Amino acid sequence: MKEKDNDSSKKSSLMTRRTFLKGGALTTAALSTGVLGAEVGEAHLALEDYPSALKRATVTLKVNGLRHRLEVEPRTTLLEVLREELQLTGTKKGCDRGQCGSCTVLLNGRPVYSCLSLAIEAVGKEILTIEGISDGETLHPVQRAFVQEMGLQCGFCSPGQILATVALLGKNPSPSEAQIRQALAGNLCRCGAYPMIFKSVQTAARLR
Amino acid sequence: MLHAVFFRSPYPHARIKKVWLDGVLKLPGVVAAFSGESLPELIGPMAQIPLFGVERTLAGNPAIKYFPHLPLARDKARYVGEPVAVVAATDKYLAEDALEAVEADFEPLPPVIDAEQTLERPEVLLYEDWGDNVLMHYTVSGGDVEKAFREADRILEITVPSSRFTGTPIEPRSVVARYDPHHLLLEVWDTTQCPHLVGTWIERAIRIPGLKTRVTVSRLGGGFGPKVSHYPEEIVVPYLAIQTGRPVRWVETRSEHLVGTTHGREQIHRLQVAVKSDGRVLGIRDRIVADMGGGHSWTGLSSIMVSALYVPGTYRIENYSGDLYGVVTNKTPFGAHRGFGKAEAAYVIERVMDSVARELGQDPIEIRKRNFIPPEAFPYRNATGSRYDSGQYAKTLDKALDLLNYSHWRAEQTRLRREGRYVGIGVSVVLEPTSSNRRGAGGYYSVRMRMDPTGTIYVFLSGNDDGTGHALPTAQIVADELAVDVINVHVVEGDSLMCPYGTGSYSSRFGGLGGAAVMLAARQLREKILEVGAALLGETADRLVLSAGSVRVRSAGEKQIALNEVARAAYTALYRLPEGMEPGLELIYHYRDPNVTFLPDERGRVGAYSSFPYAVDAGVVEVDVETGSLTILKYVSVHDCGNQINPKEVEGQHLGSLAHGLGGALYEELLYDSDGQLLTQNFKDYLIPTALDLPPILIGSTVTPNPFTPGGFKGAGEAGAVGPPPCLVAAVEDALAPLGVRVRTLPLKPSSLWELIREHLDRVHSEGGKA
Repeated sequence: MKEKDNDSSKKSSLMTRRTFLKGGALTTAALSTGVLGAEVGEAHLALEDYPSALKRATVTLKVNGLRHRLEVEPRTTLLEVLREELQLTGTKKGCDRGQCGSCTVLLNGRPVYSCLSLAIEAVGKEILTIEGISDGETLHPVQRAFVQEMGLQCGFCSPGQILATVALLGKNPSPSEAQIRQALAGNLCRCGAYPMIFKSVQTAARLR
Repeated sequence: MLHAVFFRSPYPHARIKKVWLDGVLKLPGVVAAFSGESLPELIGPMAQIPLFGVERTLAGNPAIKYFPHLPLARDKARYVGEPVAVVAATDKYLAEDALEAVEADFEPLPPVIDAEQTLERPEVLLYEDWGDNVLMHYTVSGGDVEKAFREADRILEITVPSSRFTGTPIEPRSVVARYDPHHLLLEVWDTTQCPHLVGTWIERAIRIPGLKTRVTVSRLGGGFGPKVSHYPEEIVVPYLAIQTGRPVRWVETRSEHLVGTTHGREQIHRLQVAVKSDGRVLGIRDRIVADMGGGHSWTGLSSIMVSALYVPGTYRIENYSGDLYGVVTNKTPFGAHRGFGKAEAAYVIERVMDSVARELGQDPIEIRKRNFIPPEAFPYRNATGSRYDSGQYAKTLDKALDLLNYSHWRAEQTRLRREGRYVGIGVSVVLEPTSSNRRGAGGYYSVRMRMDPTGTIYVFLSGNDDGTGHALPTAQIVADELAVDVINVHVVEGDSLMCPYGTGSYSSRFGGLGGAAVMLAARQLREKILEVGAALLGETADRLVLSAGSVRVRSAGEKQIALNEVARAAYTALYRLPEGMEPGLELIYHYRDPNVTFLPDERGRVGAYSSFPYAVDAGVVEVDVETGSLTILKYVSVHDCGNQINPKEVEGQHLGSLAHGLGGALYEELLYDSDGQLLTQNFKDYLIPTALDLPPILIGSTVTPNPFTPGGFKGAGEAGAVGPPPCLVAAVEDALAPLGVRVRTLPLKPSSLWELIREHLDRVHSEGGKA
């Protein structure tokens, strides 16, 4: 690679995860959420550092009430661990950069984008995914409300919408429509089912 | 499972001199890598036109240029995001690491960005041997256009551009493939709206004799058109599974989606309109230039033809000629997008109606009513060869105006203008042709249906669910026809092996075609059930009815037999069936669309669609002339899709498509810079409506059944994506009428409106300050 670098017409691919991480976006995100610890350094890797990139951290994650002991690369997102390691595929990946909300999960009751959280950040926190909110076969009241009001079309954004609603109703049991819109502003629905989603949230507030 | 990632062209237009993959292959976890240059010989060109590339006359007299389109670019890259090489590794992170080690030597070429400009002056060619950049030229005409222009009192010249935007389902595309070499069976899980077509395309592009495919689509996380197109990844990922002997997965990133998945809409119409002074439009000449981007997407070609075919819209415009050029440029390929060409056509004709009203100083609503095809004219053969099924446009328009409270808002407008506020009202009437059946892509819908010995009914649809919900309306129709509970009906779709062959889910064809096919299949099954029931009860079938899960004698209620007993006998007690009767309760039904013509006539006219739902939107907006920001004060939309199978689903479809249309009117824009780089590669730059953005919307419907399909259904789910742009542009122009502002491009973002307002102020200023 090095001997070819002097030719400016040679281009690597578009923005990649690594250049994204290297480019400081991670640091910004980390500062704004204030959650990253010493492991940050692990994410700043040069291509030459492959062996250290493969170093794995052992973490224990508490997901839906169950503890999982996992070996993960420090740079692995919570979303990847949920979907790929724990097979909890109810959490969706729509953009992988915190712009669509399909990957919303609750950390200690707060909605977060799991694509912008590293798995190692979630250590010691209660992680709640869509798989964890029903009681066996009995749906959570918010899920029942979404079914009743047809608060979905394709359903891809629904896990995120539902978890954002669970979080909203946890702190505001009877939100106004403006408050509902505000709380769901980070969860895109391309089917445009918003009116039915808002109605679902209102129904959920009554069912709880 | 291996993870595939694609190395894509960072240049809009470049010669690919060399791609180095040797270093990549040495990296940890990397199992396979190849480029267009080192493309395995087993991979051939991709299918270009829906089925076999033999449909060289898509309609009438178009000249379509063909070229072998390889799934990985070789020699030349023609848009930013075009796949050039692929890497497969044991882990996705390792695959992405390896991607960074791909080295490619590109020789950048000047990009072609402006379709009209390159049509006039083809200085740079995308395909050197073409001699120009015209992918397709198509003309269509009806009536006597020259006579119309001779008889006109006024001739207006109008230019209407439509901006590039697209579907962006929240679920990106992805392909997973697994190969069984013993049976030559390739299993593919794909996010496509056309699983059977993808299977056929793979079998054609990968040259392994006897190769078989099974393409499965599980729940699709939204389609909206882009997932109808055929993509390179649908060939390369399955091939990797064959080559490596391991399952392979590729999942699109959002920025890959915005550069690598088809775009829609971008075209410009330059029209001459022949008008009588009473407001009647006698004829239209339309010259259309569509920006097809740098690939070859069949949905794009199809889409722009639709734009040429449906400019007359809901109006009795008997004399029309369309002259369409599909021009290649160095942008992402043009493909299907909710509204598929008809959105652009509707936008054009609604801009025409507003211009006519303004030029003649008449009310835009009256102008529309004067030109509508009247209800008694249906079925109506339009100027471009379609037979419109039914419509009551004036009635629907009146209903929309009532919902809006039109006269109240006209009064309010006057009052608020005195306060210095700029409030305007807009109306749009949009035709939404559904159930596309052009030659090479359908004309039928197939359903397999089986009642098992338990009485459970399985329905296998040829079209898969693209996230709009086919299972429930299917089950409803079957439950109604067979007098069973919906819970006993199981709908199976999106599996190319289990389901009857079909061309997929697009063009809102489930309602109009699928609904009819399901209904007629169920009726055929009912006949058979009654015949078996008659044999078991010792009756004749004409005396029997289905009721609450039983076959019973019409008059005497006590004589009956449960459906599951009938079904059991049909499979296991042949000796109880009449002599010669086929065993079982299973059938396949092929519904052939009765209202399309496949072959265009000598003037390019073709009945490409079979049902014609429509919508009337009306909106009130306020523009802040200080900032250019726009507030929707009220928005209503009344649609008509004939009889509705499931009104709640139809309501969801209409509201959802309105959100899509509002997005296109207000926010969404695929913006290229002059170097051919797409500036909007993520959801922070490409803005789709959020929960905060949608205004309250009131919807309503009228019901004008389709006389050509059993059930009277038409398609639903696209009209909402069509109506808002013309409605809101009209409303903005009405609001800013005192300033004489004409909207040129969408979306109606504050900066554009402010620009238009400022131009007016500059004009006033230079004319000596008379505001």
